[in-house]
Amino acid sequence: MSTSPEQQRREESAGLMEYSTESLVPFGPIHPALKEPEYFKLVLEGERIVNVIPRIGYVHRGLEKAAESRPWVQNMYMFERTCGICSFVHSLCYGQAVEELTLFQVPKRAKYIRTIIAEMERIHSHLLWVGLMGHWAGFDTLFMWVWNDREVVLDLVEAISGNRVHKSMNAFCGVRRDMPENMKDRIVERMKFLTDRARYYREVIDTEETMLVRTENIGRVSQDTAEKLCAVGPMARYVGLRQDVRLNDPYAAYDEVPLDIVTTTEGDVHALLRLRLDELVASANIVSYAVENLPDGPIRVKVPPVIPAGEHSSHCEAPRGEIFYYVKSSGGRTPERVKSRQPTMANLPTALEMLKGQTLADIPIVLTAIDPCFGCMDRMSFYDTETNRRWTWSGEELRQYGVNHYFPDRSKKQRGFTKAIDSSINRRQRESI
Amino acid sequence: MLEKLTTWSRKRSPWVFHINASSCNGCDIELVASLTPRYDIERFGAVLVPSPKHADVLIVTGVVNAQTKDRLRRVYEQVPEPKYVIAIGACAAAGGVFKGCYNAGQGVQDVIPVDMFIPGCPPRPEAIMYGVLKLLGEAK
Amino acid sequence: MSETVTKLESYAEEVGTKVTALRKNENIVEVPQDKLKTFVAHVVNDLHIRHLMTITGLDLGENLGITYHFSLERDTIHVRSFVPKTKPVAVSIVDIVPGAILYEMELHDMFGIEFAGNPWKDQKLLLPDDWPADLPPPLLKTSKADQIRKRLGLEVEKK
Repeated sequence: MSTSPEQQRREESAGLMEYSTESLVPFGPIHPALKEPEYFKLVLEGERIVNVIPRIGYVHRGLEKAAESRPWVQNMYMFERTCGICSFVHSLCYGQAVEELTLFQVPKRAKYIRTIIAEMERIHSHLLWVGLMGHWAGFDTLFMWVWNDREVVLDLVEAISGNRVHKSMNAFCGVRRDMPENMKDRIVERMKFLTDRARYYREVIDTEETMLVRTENIGRVSQDTAEKLCAVGPMARYVGLRQDVRLNDPYAAYDEVPLDIVTTTEGDVHALLRLRLDELVASANIVSYAVENLPDGPIRVKVPPVIPAGEHSSHCEAPRGEIFYYVKSSGGRTPERVKSRQPTMANLPTALEMLKGQTLADIPIVLTAIDPCFGCMDRMSFYDTETNRRWTWSGEELRQYGVNHYFPDRSKKQRGFTKAIDSSINRRQRESI
Repeated sequence: MLEKLTTWSRKRSPWVFHINASSCNGCDIELVASLTPRYDIERFGAVLVPSPKHADVLIVTGVVNAQTKDRLRRVYEQVPEPKYVIAIGACAAAGGVFKGCYNAGQGVQDVIPVDMFIPGCPPRPEAIMYGVLKLLGEAK
Repeated sequence: MSETVTKLESYAEEVGTKVTALRKNENIVEVPQDKLKTFVAHVVNDLHIRHLMTITGLDLGENLGITYHFSLERDTIHVRSFVPKTKPVAVSIVDIVPGAILYEMELHDMFGIEFAGNPWKDQKLLLPDDWPADLPPPLLKTSKADQIRKRLGLEVEKK
């Protein structure tokens, strides 16, 4: 029986939709049209996404293998550089997993300092994310203001640890540097400043039309799906799951500081914005409490370079979700096995479910909402099953498409050179669509 | 005469394309932070462009792994002459902390020629701006 | 907690194995491959421990260990199963825990374990596209990092 190409295409795309929505598997088979090595390959039907295939080997460097031939303590500073945004939590989680193999206890002051730095990292990460959301939504003013406020917390981190990004504060059974003298008042004052700013940004996203139009009712996923796909962190909390390692399995000083776990039930990208800003306020509260009630005592217990045999795991709450580390020792100076699992990988299946059914113009917002790594948004390929057209865009081109789609009269108000860039992008978009 | 004009405009207003070649994002966020009001690289005329075809300067971060090697080369070829390449961070200079890992290169200069290295893990926004402006000050 | 451990011990007896405590609130159970799905179904459906943190592979000489890490509040339960290196085919739990799909793909990349039943079992997740087909998986103890670097073209002769 001969079928027209039109009908064949419909059957093919129907097969794709069936496969990906009826089965429990989050994404369907690769379409033969998408063989290029791009980060995200999206299959569209007209304007709507029906399938997304991720390819995440772009930042794979082989850390787990390298960890097996490096001393225990060197690995801590290597795993810190897995990610620049949540680097402290990586070293904390690895440190905790190894500490359980030794018989030493972490001093209380060190636990409090760890909590303080971890929460400051959460503040910086959420501010970074809110700024990026502003940028991708076409609201660059928000991006500039938020990142300017972010410098406040980075200054504090630098004053305590010496570096803005890779703090290297952790050591086995303690921290490497003590809280400097006379910082308490400065920290409390800055936390109050950040709380006020976060409340102001909350108002902005609730009232500013740009943000509302681009983030409300977009990126929904059901609570059951998120739980089945093992979502972690804000991606689980924004659909109402009360999942937070600080609450469920407290580590460091989290059993002694006031914890305010935020969940929302609306389950769209606007809810994620509100959730992260509220978490920022809660984190600032924890930092203020911890610096005011910082116990005295040593900050570190020296651990010998040979770690006793055994295996243990540990998990922590990074700004993006749960981080998991598993270590196995055979009693030597180097580990036998270290396994690290980042939160973005745990959230990826849920993120792909979020993308399905969204339109092309909403992709940048949804992809940024899951808080991915920068590089992942660099290049995407698209295949439209209705027109049989295939094209690739950089992240910036996709962002511009989204902005032009929602705010078509904005180009009239642009400055000269950005207008020149945008018009060349628009020309290319018109050629390819 | 025209050459002098274009060189002057390139020095005064460099158009920069940023590519992330397997970076941990530390250097990338410091680069983006240099656009923000406290550091404001835009007052020197530097603009981040969305496509390599519009760029004068290519900024590379990250230790180059097997998956991004070819892409980096392709992007380098797309940048029109005359071009400058800046490698930011310890990873882009010599592999950084990841030297010896099975999927990590030993620096960007193994893949494309580099004009300026800005070391650091990650380098501060001031250091990045200093590096970019120093390179352009020497541009002929 | 003790109630969970008691129930876990009864399920472990059912499949012919026992629960070992690693430390307070952390337990490990070794389950043979043919009983794995029954055991995981008990853990997920009966004990309502639905959060799978990740799956870890281990090179144990003759065998490869596959450890599933489940967590519920303060409890962590490791479920470990073994496949021989000569025939690394394991059973997939994607129909019970859909979130396991990417973790199984990662194990396939890193250890060469094929998960029968995983719809994406032949796709690469982390390794580069031009990974040579005759190069063994990287996380086996016999694979050496410098050999892999040479084959991937990342070692450049310094003049």
